[in-house]
Amino acid sequence: MLYFILRRTVFAVVLLLAVSLCTYVLFSALPSDPAALTCGKNCTTEVIERNRVRLGYDKPILEQYGLFMEGIVKGRTYGPGEAAVHCPAPALGYSFKRHQCVTALISRSLPVTISVSVGAFVLWMLLGVGLGVLAALKRGRWQDRVATGFSVIGISLPTFFVALLAVLIFTVWWPVLDFPSYTGILTNPWKWAKALVLPWSTLAVVSASTYVRMTRNGVIEVMSEEFVRLGLAKGVRRSVLIVKYVLRAALVPIVTIAGLDFAALLGGAVITESVFNLPGVGKLAIEAVVDSDLPVLVATTLVAAAFIVLANAVVDVCYGFLDPRVREG
Amino acid sequence: MNKSRAALGVLVGGALALAACGGASKSSDVGTTTTVGSASDSGHVLSFAEETGGVSATNEGVVEGGTLNILDYNSGASNLDPQRIYSAADLSLLGSTVLRTLTSYKIAPGKDGTSLVADLATDTGTASADAKTWTFTLRDGITFEDGSPITCADIQYGVSRTWAHDVTADDGPLYATQYLDVPEDYPGPFTATAEQEAAFSKGVECRDPKTIVFHLKLSVSDFNFTVSLLAFGPVPKAADTGDKYTLRPMSSGPFKIETYDEGKTLVMVRNDKWSQASDPVRTPHLDRIVWHFGLAEAIIDERMIADQGDDQAAITYAGLASQSLQTVFSGDQYADRRTDGYNGFVSYTIMNLKTVNCLAIRKAIWLAIDREAIRTAVGGPFTGTFASGFINPRLAVDFAEATLPEGLNADGTANTEAAKALMAQAKDDPKCASAYKLATETGLRFDHGASEAWTKVISIWMDSLKAVGIKIIDNPIEPKDLYAAFASNPGDMMRGGWATDWNNASTVIPPLFIKDGGSAYGNFWDDPDYPGFVERVNAALVEVDRAKQASMWKALNQWLVDQVWSIPGTYTRAQYLVGSKVRNAYNWYPFGWYAVGNIGLAA
Amino acid sequence: MTDTPLLRVRDLCVSFRTPDGVVRAVDSVSFDVHAGETVGIVGESGSGKSVTANALMRLNSGAQMSTTGSILLDGVDLGSLSEEEVRLRRGRDIAMVFQDPLSALNPFYSVGDQVAEAYRVHHPKARRPEVRDVVVESLGRVGIPEPVKRMYSFPHEFSGGMRQRIVIAMALVNSPRLLIADEPTTALDVTVQAQILELIQRIQQESGTAVLLITHDLGVIAETTERVIVMYGGRVVEEASVESVFEQPTHPYTLGLLGSVRSLDSAGRGSLRAIPGSPPSLIHLPAGCAFRPRCRFELGEGSLCGSSVPTLSVVGRGKSACHLDVAERERLITAVDG
Repeated sequence: MLYFILRRTVFAVVLLLAVSLCTYVLFSALPSDPAALTCGKNCTTEVIERNRVRLGYDKPILEQYGLFMEGIVKGRTYGPGEAAVHCPAPALGYSFKRHQCVTALISRSLPVTISVSVGAFVLWMLLGVGLGVLAALKRGRWQDRVATGFSVIGISLPTFFVALLAVLIFTVWWPVLDFPSYTGILTNPWKWAKALVLPWSTLAVVSASTYVRMTRNGVIEVMSEEFVRLGLAKGVRRSVLIVKYVLRAALVPIVTIAGLDFAALLGGAVITESVFNLPGVGKLAIEAVVDSDLPVLVATTLVAAAFIVLANAVVDVCYGFLDPRVREG
Repeated sequence: MNKSRAALGVLVGGALALAACGGASKSSDVGTTTTVGSASDSGHVLSFAEETGGVSATNEGVVEGGTLNILDYNSGASNLDPQRIYSAADLSLLGSTVLRTLTSYKIAPGKDGTSLVADLATDTGTASADAKTWTFTLRDGITFEDGSPITCADIQYGVSRTWAHDVTADDGPLYATQYLDVPEDYPGPFTATAEQEAAFSKGVECRDPKTIVFHLKLSVSDFNFTVSLLAFGPVPKAADTGDKYTLRPMSSGPFKIETYDEGKTLVMVRNDKWSQASDPVRTPHLDRIVWHFGLAEAIIDERMIADQGDDQAAITYAGLASQSLQTVFSGDQYADRRTDGYNGFVSYTIMNLKTVNCLAIRKAIWLAIDREAIRTAVGGPFTGTFASGFINPRLAVDFAEATLPEGLNADGTANTEAAKALMAQAKDDPKCASAYKLATETGLRFDHGASEAWTKVISIWMDSLKAVGIKIIDNPIEPKDLYAAFASNPGDMMRGGWATDWNNASTVIPPLFIKDGGSAYGNFWDDPDYPGFVERVNAALVEVDRAKQASMWKALNQWLVDQVWSIPGTYTRAQYLVGSKVRNAYNWYPFGWYAVGNIGLAA
Repeated sequence: MTDTPLLRVRDLCVSFRTPDGVVRAVDSVSFDVHAGETVGIVGESGSGKSVTANALMRLNSGAQMSTTGSILLDGVDLGSLSEEEVRLRRGRDIAMVFQDPLSALNPFYSVGDQVAEAYRVHHPKARRPEVRDVVVESLGRVGIPEPVKRMYSFPHEFSGGMRQRIVIAMALVNSPRLLIADEPTTALDVTVQAQILELIQRIQQESGTAVLLITHDLGVIAETTERVIVMYGGRVVEEASVESVFEQPTHPYTLGLLGSVRSLDSAGRGSLRAIPGSPPSLIHLPAGCAFRPRCRFELGEGSLCGSSVPTLSVVGRGKSACHLDVAERERLITAVDG
């Protein structure tokens, strides 16, 4: 098992390095000139060229990547003279659009995204798995139809629409909640939760749908397994049977998908963050796209990729714990 | 989830187009004109007089204190660094709250708001006879938020930052570099050598800590207007953080920035080092101003209409979206909270005098086009009022309704018959031969910003002109490349937009029609009357008597209309809705928005 | 032996409603199992034998199912009991062994845990060491080597035969009165099959547990059981002692089954002589005798075989459900036999 974890970690690190190189090279290959993007509306070629040298965009891409990696390890200083800015390690770049070190931007956005993600994830798993189990147990009855109907509606509604509707209903037309404005959990846990109720619910409603269906199908499938029948024949209580036998088995494949979904969410819940005005990684990324803010774009892409790689590794290890059959593999 | 994520790209793209026309003084409203629902086809009769906002524009029932909320869909302020601020909204917002300059506009509703008043200086400046040397004296008791006095050195240092192209990124206006007698190799204060700084301080001279003297390369009779731009504001060298200064500038006004949490809020609180006695311009009432960023665009209007809780003390950074206009402007329910007025822009179609060197044809084009149909195509009467010239009504001192060519229909519809008569006249005029051939046989190339609305607009142009025998060759250009394309390869006709940089038509007529003025694209210098025109413009530029100067601009505007060097389009308009407790929210003419610092709240 | 049988099944009917129609999986089945007895139920797949076995434990589930008739365990009608009362009898009074040991064990728990669970369910107050001892003992009893060590292993770490032993251990951990073994050897290798059958026999002898062995394999029946119930199309077609069934079958279907076994014996593997035709669809059972389409002795158009369902009646030492005249049947069957 230990060897399994070790091997998985090494693989993840190698993968991350490869992803970072690809990201860097890809974004550098974009037709937009990063140096020109740092320049204002009265820009001259002279200023562009000066900025190019200052930011190192005149160097070959691989060397730029080297400097980028060096910055992550050692920190980096941008610009000459009194106006120079220093970003301490791990420096992911400096955003001339936002006038801040990218690492600072990311580390400010991450808690927001994590808050959104964790809450939404818990809620959607409870909702998705709960309704899925209910639907499977009450197969063919009204509970099943309600849950399946919910799942169909959730899947067919775009997040943007649900989010906007939620805001309009609960903060404008029937103002039971304030318009969401993120507050740190340490600053004021009550305000934190209150601001996140709508985003959590929106994400949960939209994303739970898939899980309702997966869980329902998984449970129904496992219910027909011989070992479940044997459990019943042993005299095991139905409730115990459902949790210990059915859910345990049905959830193993769901864990894999949930892990990746969660990682994708950590990479930024773009739409939700935008509509609910949550300054998380997703919003940062989308604004970087709008502003053509290359350093931020590279960094947010890397963060998202890192989460996916990490989640993959974690899911693999978890899978090993969950299913004794894959441990040796 | 992936599916919806992809959908977002489209939505954000849509939002971008809207954001792009939000505010900068020099902007191409042309390329980015958004498609909005037509208000004229709705059946409601709408008034096109400006609406000033009723009670919300007065100070009725204002109580001292309170918090004003500014709702904004942008993720943050575009710039807070005085040398980098250029958008009209930011100039009025920050200029009335945090940043002071030597001179300012009077904060008052209507035309009164366009008069220049002394701010940090004791008066509006003294010019030498040739208007090449301008002297300002600083008043007593002016300080930064840390209590340190504002001296000549701070203004000198602030102005020098405009030259630091790599730090201030040329975000702000560049009049300093164009006007001031400073060596061309001056690199700005961050990297300048001692000699370079010494040379700079000859151009911007501190005669003593309270006296600043600007030495100009050329005569500028309204340089005292120029220094009202925040780019001529003070920055204490010790507090300069370079690129990061734009996140937290040092305040000299009645408010200071308490916190700026990008993507969330910018909170301004009262600056206790500021004294009313030292500031004849601003009269603050509020305790706090909270600028909320990143709100969903679709939500902002809904919140304003609902007018609940804190939103009763709210204003919006951007104007109402087209889909909200019908709700807000039908009936009187919102009359006390809504404003509809000019935002300072004029749109116009530049004629290339090298190719279309025939007045009869230029006039025929103006008469032939169905301006009403065009305005309907871009969104109807709310988008603007038909312009009679190039000076916006907001520039009240210089504005006069010009006399329009005979035969031009006042309702904006085409007068095809009159245009045909003019074309017949051109046909027989040997001086018009080449232009006539170009217009009727080859076709006139029409350069404009590419947009969905403009594909409709250009087809109206084509149909209108076809009726009088003129052919149009459509040439859509990427909006961001528009002005560069005009400069490098001007078409026969080009669609542009313009707003003033300060309250003087010197920032309209010379830049638009004088060679090297910055934005003159129509080869006007090929017109035989050009030398005479330049002479009159130069005379107006150096005229120190403002009233006299104004009448000169009015006459020049009339002359340009008569000669049809360009065809005026519309004076563009914007509509806003404020919360029910907001007072003093009137359109501050120079900026087309509120003087936020003077806003008060009713109980 | 007492007069009251351990298990008395009377007129058991189980039907399922499917989109294609109602399936009568079990139709008027009656039989007894006495304490300590080994009874075999034999039949092709779809004959209703597994459904019968599940019905005995009320394991058939689903909203579309209905069960009628009575199942008396020690004189108590299981049908009249609450779900909880039935649950308490499952695994304690009646235990079950399934066909496929590969899928019958929960892959996520160690085998020790699973055996322990079977014990704990009916001994909720048992302490850990006691449970552990029981687990080790029952694993040892079914021939799992090194049970102390192996109890921590997971099902996938055992061979098929070993897994079936574990299932048996689990079934016997509460010393049930009746063990229902539903095709316990079908999924196993031939050599292992014998071992498992031997194990079941041994345990039956040691503990006096009655065994209801369900199989399609007459060979297994011959080796293990005392009495045989032959099912076809959801009904019992013959019931008799093992000897009489093998020596003198009284139903054409039983004869067919024996034929397939014998041909295997004589001609070796591969040339299994199956009964011509295929088992009937339970939705569209033929009118009259369900076996008629495949019966080589059927009386032809318009006869009883085509119009009425034959009832089980005493023939010789056993019972049989066939319209053929008994003497005629014996003559025909003997002729084929010879």
